[in-house]
Amino acid sequence: MSAILDVTDLRKSYAGVHALDGVSFAVEAGSVTGLIGPNGSGKSTAIDCISGFQKRDGGRIVLAGKDISGQAAHHIARAGLMRTFQTVRIYERLNLRDNLAIAAQQFDAATWVDELLRTRRYRQAVEKAETRALELVELIGLKRYWEAETGILSYGQKKLVALAAALMPHPKIVVLDEPVAGVNPSRIREIEVALAELNRAGETFLIVEHNVEFITNLCHRVIVLDQGRKLAEGTAQEIHTDARVLEAYLGMTPEMAEAEMRGAA
Amino acid sequence: MKLAAALLAALAFAALPLLTSSNYIIGIGISALIFTVAAAALNLVYGFTGLLSFAQLGFWGIGGYVTALTVVTFGGNFWWGLVWAALINALVALAIGYPTLRTNRHAFVIVTLTFALLVTLIARDWVDLTRGPLGIPNLPRPSAFGYHFGTTPQFYWVTWAFSVAMLAFLYALCSSRIGRTLIAIKQNEPLVRAQGISPMPYKLSAFAISAAVTGAAGGVYAFHLGIIDPLFLDFYYMQTFLIIVIIGGAGSFWGVVAAGVALSALPEALRFSADFRMIIYGVILVVAMFVMPSGVAGWLRERELNRMREQLR
Repeated sequence: MSAILDVTDLRKSYAGVHALDGVSFAVEAGSVTGLIGPNGSGKSTAIDCISGFQKRDGGRIVLAGKDISGQAAHHIARAGLMRTFQTVRIYERLNLRDNLAIAAQQFDAATWVDELLRTRRYRQAVEKAETRALELVELIGLKRYWEAETGILSYGQKKLVALAAALMPHPKIVVLDEPVAGVNPSRIREIEVALAELNRAGETFLIVEHNVEFITNLCHRVIVLDQGRKLAEGTAQEIHTDARVLEAYLGMTPEMAEAEMRGAA
Repeated sequence: MKLAAALLAALAFAALPLLTSSNYIIGIGISALIFTVAAAALNLVYGFTGLLSFAQLGFWGIGGYVTALTVVTFGGNFWWGLVWAALINALVALAIGYPTLRTNRHAFVIVTLTFALLVTLIARDWVDLTRGPLGIPNLPRPSAFGYHFGTTPQFYWVTWAFSVAMLAFLYALCSSRIGRTLIAIKQNEPLVRAQGISPMPYKLSAFAISAAVTGAAGGVYAFHLGIIDPLFLDFYYMQTFLIIVIIGGAGSFWGVVAAGVALSALPEALRFSADFRMIIYGVILVVAMFVMPSGVAGWLRERELNRMREQLR
């Protein structure tokens, strides 16, 4: 496997506070990688810098062999990195179909002249997007809302729409910012299953999330940030038993964690 | 369906001079058409893209003056005057929009408002060019292919053809992927960027196109009045365009077109009560806003949404 996303020495500070103090990590193609850490550890800043929504102070970001450091958000998206947002962002006053169609439109070759003249190129592009959209809608189980304005959906359903939109243009990597935060627990499992299925179909994910169970079930590899630095990296099992992680994240010693797990069992 | 209705309405409007010989009524018809075009142009920037632009008043004035000056001072004809009006306004809009659209929506409102006031000042004080407060009277009606559109009914055809062409153009734009992208930018700009679309070219083009259309509409209207003076930049016009867009439903193409026609006719329909007509007009507007805060189109849409919610429950 090779790294699809390679982050080296990423730095960012706000008014002298180091939000990111030289973070390096890589995401393998076809993997699900988790990015976790306590509040304020720099997770959100990291993905904002990677996706171009914040200016980084230093560091190199390479996406599929192409240096995207410092580029504008829309250029990074065009290069194949799609993201979702912590507070769900969708077009609430457009229907599900249009929400998904817009997500793909920058990635087809049809121009407005094509559209005006309804050329073959335009019709093919629209058809291709529609097929993909229907596939994704089926997967997230929102098919009956196809023509409905997405504003009427529940919070969890909106998160699924945002996920589907990010997947529309067959991106090289999808970055999910807290995909299950604020989602009804019964739905979390559904999202988990959907993501696992997408990953089996070849999608690569980088996921920032607080829900440890969700991350453990889903991720091949987990990166732990604390105070703007990478604290640990490994499989979910390795992370679970890492003393530094337990200390930073849970405020526990390994013995306490073990005792708790025994208690739970 | 909507298109067929629109076509029918356009043809009905074309028949107006055949139905009445009153220049007064035909004059109202001209105002209705032109105001509808200007409102549809404002709808493109405000309703679709979410940018509240008071610069429309400035574009309207520049358009009127450019067309008048092309004919009176520079010896061109009316048609070229309209072309110049559109071109110059588009350039001015690019010049204002490029720096201003980088800031935020509030700054944009302030800058456009200031621009409109500035154009008013220029119209009044640059006497060498605009002839100041006296204005430019006796604007000659245009001719084409040897036919002179000298009377009000004849000039009405010009207005009609212009308005239908402009509305058709704006409709083609608004109903395309470009129009959909503008709505997306209004609703959630960061998401648009995350989907690989750069909002700036869209916002800038919408602003420039809106300026060009408004300017040409101003040109036609000035030749309907037959005179242009600084009163052409009265805030009354801006207020009219804005009321049409808001009552019709910002972001709804047909809602605004329907409101344009209805609201231009309404003050005239109220003439049965000469003393109170503007008060009644105001009351109707206020009540309309209470009952339908997002315009007629917004109200219809809300009903549709509620029905959908019921169905999906």
